[in-house]
Amino acid sequence: MSADASAPAIQSRPSLLQVALAFAAISSTAFGGGQKASIRHEVIKRGWMDSDQFMDGLELAQVLPGPNILNLAIYCGQRARGIPGAIAAFLGASVPPFVIVLIAGALYFKYASNPYVHGALRGCAVGALGLTLGNAFELSWDERDDWLKIVLIIFTAIVVSYFKMPLLLVLVLFGGIGVAREYQRAHKAQAPK
Amino acid sequence: MNSTLSTALHILWTFSQLSVLGFGGGKGIIPQMHHDVVDNYQWITSDQFAQFYTIGKLVPGPTTIFATLVGYAAMPGRPWLGALIATIGMFVPSSIIMAVADIFWARFEKSPWRAIVSHGLAPAIVGLVWSSVWTISRGTPAGLIPYAITGLVAILMLRTKLSAPVLIAASGVVGIAVLR
Repeated sequence: MSADASAPAIQSRPSLLQVALAFAAISSTAFGGGQKASIRHEVIKRGWMDSDQFMDGLELAQVLPGPNILNLAIYCGQRARGIPGAIAAFLGASVPPFVIVLIAGALYFKYASNPYVHGALRGCAVGALGLTLGNAFELSWDERDDWLKIVLIIFTAIVVSYFKMPLLLVLVLFGGIGVAREYQRAHKAQAPK
Repeated sequence: MNSTLSTALHILWTFSQLSVLGFGGGKGIIPQMHHDVVDNYQWITSDQFAQFYTIGKLVPGPTTIFATLVGYAAMPGRPWLGALIATIGMFVPSSIIMAVADIFWARFEKSPWRAIVSHGLAPAIVGLVWSSVWTISRGTPAGLIPYAITGLVAILMLRTKLSAPVLIAASGVVGIAVLR
């Protein structure tokens, strides 16, 4: 396998181990939104892609199902080294969190019955609930420019919480209405005056 | 079919479905996951679900990594196997979709459909996040103090730069004092 001569000069060809380790370092240290910036910094600094390619991948990673960080890692790995690169990036981005969460889980099952640990866990869960609540507010605020979207949010929340509507149906039905609305708005914006 | 294999396949199937439906970074799958693993299969309780979700938020990496813990608890005889299968189910299908889509992505690069689909799905995802609040609250303590902490954390998250693990840890300290 030799490097493609027609590839832009910005691209350098990392080893699979380098790809895996780069994402392992990010996935085992960064939390939440900061990871996207870390990945951007790493892949551009290392010359695996340019900023435009990265932004394109970020968009794809956010549209498709799956954690954004993992999808983004796969995109970067695949652009750097093809399918083996995607696999290396997947392992790098998923194995450290897997090991860390397993250690946390083993401690959980060992100590959860201790009253102090139990209290701490209940308190932490209340905190996590608060974060989810804040997130729900934040995301709803972003949709405030369209009354139909607010109605969709409320409807979805009710039918899922109280009537257990299956996720697939929610995405097809309410997602479908949202997509139709978005299509209509995009069409209107394009139409000549 | 022996019960270990049967449970393993149920875990794999459950999380694979959630994986391919995990739009919006997986934020919307919480209510369905609760329905599957607590109400339907009864692998864990609502309290455990809320606490596993919390651990998922505390550790680095995607929150949905808490699927690993659900798999761990679902197979008491072979917890490590359950954990591995749940993780594979949760992350491999969406990753394959990503890798395949990237190969064909260039064709859609100029298509307005990309933005239309992602913006169009957003209200349903946000509604699912609201439902997640309701779902998680089934496994967290009720009462004036917990509700006050929940509200305070939400406000601090929106109004300050305090990080998620810091806010969760601080809530845990309060919990040791008042929620034992």
